[in-house]
Amino acid sequence: MEKQDALDDLFAQARSRPVEPSDALMARVLADALAEQPKAVVARAAPVARGSWLGGLASVFGGFGGLAGVGGAAVAGLVLGFVQPATVTDFADAVLGTDVVASVTLIPSADALLVGE
Amino acid sequence: MPRDTTDEVSDEVLLAAYARGEAAAARALTARLVPRALGYAARMLGDRAEAEDVAQEAMLRLWRAAAGWRTGEAQVATWLYRVVTNLCTDRLRARQRRRAETLDDAPEVADASAGVEAGMIEADRMAALDAALAELPERQRQAVVLRHLEGLSNPEIAVVMDIGVEAVESLTARGKRALAAILAGRREELGYDGDEG
Repeated sequence: MEKQDALDDLFAQARSRPVEPSDALMARVLADALAEQPKAVVARAAPVARGSWLGGLASVFGGFGGLAGVGGAAVAGLVLGFVQPATVTDFADAVLGTDVVASVTLIPSADALLVGE
Repeated sequence: MPRDTTDEVSDEVLLAAYARGEAAAARALTARLVPRALGYAARMLGDRAEAEDVAQEAMLRLWRAAAGWRTGEAQVATWLYRVVTNLCTDRLRARQRRRAETLDDAPEVADASAGVEAGMIEADRMAALDAALAELPERQRQAVVLRHLEGLSNPEIAVVMDIGVEAVESLTARGKRALAAILAGRREELGYDGDEG
């Protein structure tokens, strides 16, 4: 029992004197750590200010340039849907070789909108 | 992650932060884990330079494992001790092979035991402990060092050594008895206990 107590004292003494790593070892390990470290996620571009619904909408379409394109396409679609520009019917006549206008006479033409009859 | 808050953070959280690219986490983990890996390796190998190589290699494996680390699967410190254990075992076996090939090599234990002869003063008592540890069978030495010098619990040692808790208890008990006998024998040999020497 006495031997065991003496041994426990020796263990306690050893624990109180831990092996200190050298600065060189710590530097080597840290260099390995930084060399192996996965790269940090690239910081995003300046975030859009909160509360700007237009900014939020723009970010959905990939920025204001994209939003302008989408808006332009929407307007063009509406115009083409409601009016019948003469160039469209001319183009259709040329391509199809038939009188397209005759089949769409119920749709108002662009002239009707412009003149305001 | 600010430096002054890392003391309260677990190793697992720090490792996850390291994997996200936080340099402060690398520094905190290095400061926290290298002394433990080095201390254990030094006790197992009895050679400071070799222990430093093992500690660096074990930490390198940790850095490489960080990205695929699954939280809750293993404790970082336990995992590291296990890697150190395996690296030390490899080196001890290589050392035995070299000794078998060159029989005239002086065993390293003899160097450490010189400290005992110089008189059991503070530093020499540590040298005597290291010398006695070196005489233990490898598995007993692992168990005793992890339990009594590194302060791991028996269940943690069971994970490190890949054995059951009862086997750990048996190894530490036998290791301690053998260690006490070796140290007592040395003292008697050198005339520290009683006058019969």
